[in-house]
Amino acid sequence: MSSPELTPPEVARWATRAGLPLPHDRLATVADVANHVHSVVSVLRELDFGDTPPSAVYRAEEDFDAAV
Amino acid sequence: MRPYELSLAEAAQEVRARRLSPVELVDSVLERIDRVEPHLHAYVEVTAERARHDARRAEGAVDGPLRGIPMALKDLIDVAGVATTASSRVRADHRAEADSAVAARLAAAGAALVGKTHTHEFAYGLITPQTGNAWDRGRVAGGSSGGSAVAVAAGAATFALGTDTGGSIRVPAALNGVVGLKPTYDLVPRRGVTSLSWSLDHVGPITRTVEDAGLVLAALVAPGRAQSFADYPRDGDLRGLRVGVPVNYYFDHVDPEVEAAVRAAVARLEELGARLIEVEIPMTRYIQATHWGLMVPEATAYHERTLRSVPELYADDVRVLLEAGALLSAGDYLRAQRARTLMRRAWLDVLDGVDAIAAPTVPLTAVEVGRDSVTWPDGAVETVSDAYVRLSAPANIAGVPSLTVPVGQDRAGLPIGMQLMGRPLGEAVLLRLGHAYERTGAAPRLAPVA
Repeated sequence: MSSPELTPPEVARWATRAGLPLPHDRLATVADVANHVHSVVSVLRELDFGDTPPSAVYRAEEDFDAAV
Repeated sequence: MRPYELSLAEAAQEVRARRLSPVELVDSVLERIDRVEPHLHAYVEVTAERARHDARRAEGAVDGPLRGIPMALKDLIDVAGVATTASSRVRADHRAEADSAVAARLAAAGAALVGKTHTHEFAYGLITPQTGNAWDRGRVAGGSSGGSAVAVAAGAATFALGTDTGGSIRVPAALNGVVGLKPTYDLVPRRGVTSLSWSLDHVGPITRTVEDAGLVLAALVAPGRAQSFADYPRDGDLRGLRVGVPVNYYFDHVDPEVEAAVRAAVARLEELGARLIEVEIPMTRYIQATHWGLMVPEATAYHERTLRSVPELYADDVRVLLEAGALLSAGDYLRAQRARTLMRRAWLDVLDGVDAIAAPTVPLTAVEVGRDSVTWPDGAVETVSDAYVRLSAPANIAGVPSLTVPVGQDRAGLPIGMQLMGRPLGEAVLLRLGHAYERTGAAPRLAPVA
C-alpha cells in the first residue's frame, strides 16, 4: 500500500506543526528517513484490527500463568 | 585462577568461605580494567574509589551471592551522585540525584559498582561505536549495551546490567560470547533508567554463565519472585520440557555457521531429554513495522525538549531518527499498539504448546567496524542494524523473556549466540535449559584481550 512521499518543504511544514521546527539544512535528510520509517510502518494498514484494543497498558500476568 | 576470572557464583563461594575478601576481588577487577580498558573502551567512567568503599562495606555485610561482587551498570541507569551520560553530549552536566530501583536493589545485595559502561547514544542503535568487540577490536561490540557485554566478556566486571528495547542486551551478549537475559516486561523495575521506548524497554543482567544470570535476576526482582530464579532444577535433565524450533523466520537470512551452531545446540537440548517440536512464528510480516511503530514515536517523545533546545549535541544517526519520529502520526502509533496486542496473543498461543522456543540470537557474528550492510545469498540487502535486531525484537514486542547463551564460534573465532524465549514469567524454564546446555560444554573463558 503506497502513499506519496514527503518532500523537504512538506517535512518543514509537518515538523513545524508537530512542534519541532527544523532548519533548512536538515530537511532533505529527515525526509529520507521519515519516508523510510513510513514505508516500514505503513504495512500495518493491511491488518484488520476489528475490536482489538491498543496494548499501551497490559500486565504480564494477566494472559498467562507461568509454569516452571 | 585470578579473582577477576571467577564467575559470579564462583566468586560468591570464595567470599562466603572467606578464601577471598570483597576488597581483594574488587582490586583484581579494577587491575583488570586498567589493563584492558585502553584497548576496549567499555567504560564511560570507572568508579574505583566507590568500588573499594562498597567492597569494604561488604566485608561485614549480611551474606548473599552478590556480596562484594564487582558490577558495571550501563550508563542509562541512575546511581545517586554519579553522572548518567547515556554516552551523549546532551547529558554532559548530568548528575543523578537518586539511585534507580535496580541500582538500589543491587547495592542492598552488597554488589560493588566498578563503573558505568558505554551505550550506543541513548540506546538508539545496535553498534556502540565507542567500544571494541572483546574478541576482535576491529569488530563491533554490538549494542546498545555494548560496554556492559564487553566488560563482562573481558573480565572487567563480574556482571553487568544492560537494557533491551529490541535486542540491546542479547545482541552484544551474543556478539561477545556472554550470557544475556531480557526478562519478562515489567518484571524488573525501570524507575531511574533512561528510557528509549517505554513500552518496549527492559532491564536485565549480562553475565558469563547462566547460573550467574539467575543470581542477578533474583536480586533485581521483588523479593516474592526471587526464589524461582535461584532455585530452578540444575541436574541437567530436560525430560518433560518441550522446545519449539521455528520452521519460519528465525533461520531465514542467517549465516550458515550461525545456523549450524544453533542447530547443534538445539540437538544437544534434545540429547538432554527435551522434546523438539516444530513451531510456526506468527505475523512475521509485521514484526519490524510494529517495533518501529512503537519505538520511533516513543523515543522522539522522550527527547522532545532537548531535541528542540540542543539538537546539535546528538550524534547524527540518533538525531535524524528522533527528528523523523516527530512526523509519524498518532494513527500509525495506535496501529502498532493494536498490532502488538494481536502479536502478543499469537505468541502466547504458540507458547501454549511448548515451554520455550530456541533460535539464533543474531543472524551473523560481529561485523567489521564501519560495515553498514549485509548482502544475503539471494541478493537481499539488509542494514547491519536491521539484521542484528531482526531476531531479537519479537520478544520485546510480545514482552516474553529471552535468554541468550554462547553456543560456539565461527571460523574467525567470533562468538555465536542461541536465544531461548519463554512464556511471561517463565524465566526459570529458560535458566534451566540454558544451564543444562552450558554444563555439557567447556567452562566459559574470558576474551583474550590482553
